[in-house]
Amino acid sequence: MGRIKIFRWKAIGPLLLFAVALVVLWWLFADRVARQTSEEVGTAILGARVDIDRLHIDLAGGRIEIRGLTVASPFEAFRNLLQADELVADIDVLPLLEKKVVIDRLAANGLRFGTTRTTSGLVPREGQAAATRSVGAQVAEWGERFRIPALQLAGGTIDVGQLDLRRLETVSAAEAVVTRADSSRTAWMAQLAGLDVRPRIDSARTLAERLKTARPTDLALINDARRQLDGLKQLEGQVSGLERAVRAGLDSLSAGVRGLEAARQRDYAFARSLVQLPSLDAPNLAAALFGTAAIRRFQRALYWAQLGREYLPPGLRPRETPAAKRLRRDGTDVRFPRERAYPGFLLREGELSLTLAAESNDPKSFSGRLEGLTSAPAVYGRPTTFSARGPAVTAGAVIDHVTATPRDSGGAEIGGMALPAITIPGLPLRLEPGRGTVGLSFALDGDRLRGAWRVRAPATSWVRDSAAPRGSDIQRLVERVLTGIDQIELAAELGGSLAAPRLSVRSNLDAVLSQRLAAVLGEEVATAERKLRAQVDSAVAPQLAAARQRLTALSDDAAQRLGVERTQLAEAEQLLEQQLRQVTRGIPGIRIP
Amino acid sequence: MLAIVKLIQSIVKALHSDGTPGQVAIGLALGAIIGLTPLMSLHNAVVFGLIIILNVSFPGALLGIAVFTPLAFLLDPLFDALGRLLLVGTPALTPLWTELYNTPVVPLTDFNNTVVLGSLVTALVLFVPLVLAARWGVARYRATVGERIRRSALYRTVTASKLYNVYRLFRPEA
Repeated sequence: MGRIKIFRWKAIGPLLLFAVALVVLWWLFADRVARQTSEEVGTAILGARVDIDRLHIDLAGGRIEIRGLTVASPFEAFRNLLQADELVADIDVLPLLEKKVVIDRLAANGLRFGTTRTTSGLVPREGQAAATRSVGAQVAEWGERFRIPALQLAGGTIDVGQLDLRRLETVSAAEAVVTRADSSRTAWMAQLAGLDVRPRIDSARTLAERLKTARPTDLALINDARRQLDGLKQLEGQVSGLERAVRAGLDSLSAGVRGLEAARQRDYAFARSLVQLPSLDAPNLAAALFGTAAIRRFQRALYWAQLGREYLPPGLRPRETPAAKRLRRDGTDVRFPRERAYPGFLLREGELSLTLAAESNDPKSFSGRLEGLTSAPAVYGRPTTFSARGPAVTAGAVIDHVTATPRDSGGAEIGGMALPAITIPGLPLRLEPGRGTVGLSFALDGDRLRGAWRVRAPATSWVRDSAAPRGSDIQRLVERVLTGIDQIELAAELGGSLAAPRLSVRSNLDAVLSQRLAAVLGEEVATAERKLRAQVDSAVAPQLAAARQRLTALSDDAAQRLGVERTQLAEAEQLLEQQLRQVTRGIPGIRIP
Repeated sequence: MLAIVKLIQSIVKALHSDGTPGQVAIGLALGAIIGLTPLMSLHNAVVFGLIIILNVSFPGALLGIAVFTPLAFLLDPLFDALGRLLLVGTPALTPLWTELYNTPVVPLTDFNNTVVLGSLVTALVLFVPLVLAARWGVARYRATVGERIRRSALYRTVTASKLYNVYRLFRPEA
């Protein structure tokens, strides 16, 4: 039997042929595969369609060229977030061996924002990456945390209906105070009874009587009296403790009674909202007119900030991400970033040539610079920065995810360009600001929010929805006032935290509209408010009176009961002490304190 | 149906190929690696190269791929769990994975994917037992019913197919 050969040399030919076939397949299909993968990954991450006309990888030259990039807006179906004529990236080839993309320099030409598209660019939820889906849901839920007052002009007349008394906060709060007072009284009395004060006072008095006839040699009686005296002092301490507890309880109940007044104020407001009485104070009007539009803008900024935190996370811990789709189970990819190594993705420097309002008669061109965009900021060690400047345009952003607490901030101010229309909720009106200046800033520091949206438009116009009904008298008045205003100054400010955001909005429309509405409706409003207050008062007065009366009665009763017990306890203690002193006078070694 | 016919064809060819039971067994174990792990992985290119260049049974390798690929679909949840345990659930291994993840070429193997790592570790652990079991099985088969099957009509049908000619190119050399 001959020795078996280890290698099959005649297979070298087919193996080389196979390798050549792989190279040919790469040459034929690499660009197409890379383009399709880029489109799929970009679409999944951004939550909107990403299309690329052509992508070419030149590994030998260390260059990737993308032509005709279109990224749809995830917020508007028929609008693009951006379009780019050409992106040329000089890549570092070596990191590709580690499956990492390091772009030394990117030149982006012909970047245009907000262009229209003919087909919808929105992606259904199942087409989005799980993280993107989650961010979208969070941002939508965040937007619902704001309570934007609506202009309630549908009725046309001010109507004060009957209140549902069960929903008045004061009634339930007053009932709660009464219940608390009753249960406190029961508890205190039970505690007082538990101390067994009366029998022990009686016992002390009896002992004092016996001591009157006792001799200094009745040591058992004397010891008994001393124990009794100690017991009385201890009891006095317990009664004092109970007194302190009662006083604290009464203070708490008093605070509850005082809180009923605040509850009544809230009930006034609740009643007003129930009967659809338009609120006429200026900040409410501003929020009603522009609050929704402001929140929409901040929501978009938050979406990008949160998406950045999701895909450019801080820290060096192993990170799990869903793997690419395949026929078999996808599994999870785990990344293991390390200091002084290449991050998974890094764009060192990007030179951007941008155009705003590209489809208008007066497009604004400017240039920008992007530095240090990376998927592992802690590895790169520096924040991502973006700045752009041009005629009447300034923009900048810093994405600092280097430390454990991520900080994102960005802002832009654009002047002298046609501003997008603002729809006014609750009215069939659309504000066309015309040319003006708009500024938006947004910062997310940990979970603290800060943002501002400012619009200055010197020549506005108002467009009424021609199909809308004529509306009520009040609505027509509001429309007349608004359409008479031809310049807008609007400022919306965001604050608070992600969990509890605050929005304040003010505009030059507020005061004008408020004054006009107040002038026309003032007397009617005042009458309606008086009527409402009377309804609330009549509904809550008995409960309020009951709560106050119960507190007073409890306070008096508790003070009296405890006072009596303490006085009698002190008297019994004094009596026992006196008698004990008399009996033990002259006996050495016995001291009554 | 075609898949089943192919599987039978692979089994028959592997068992009756010219290779020794050891060559068939190693071919089968190498094929099992390709079958158990996700196909489009760099390590599978290496294993495929080994199957071609080493003097092992090519039909054995095809049999390994044919048998273990459907099995892999069933076992994927297990591979996923094992991979997760190794990559995420064993902190002592994190420095090793970090080193490998930042070493050129290694990340191209997708070792940091839970299914890939879980299935590859399983295939490697099973490699030696599989070689031993297959070698014993093939030897037993040939010593018992092999000759009867070789004379059967089924065998003649299988060996007459075009695929058999491809096999002849890669049949093990004595």
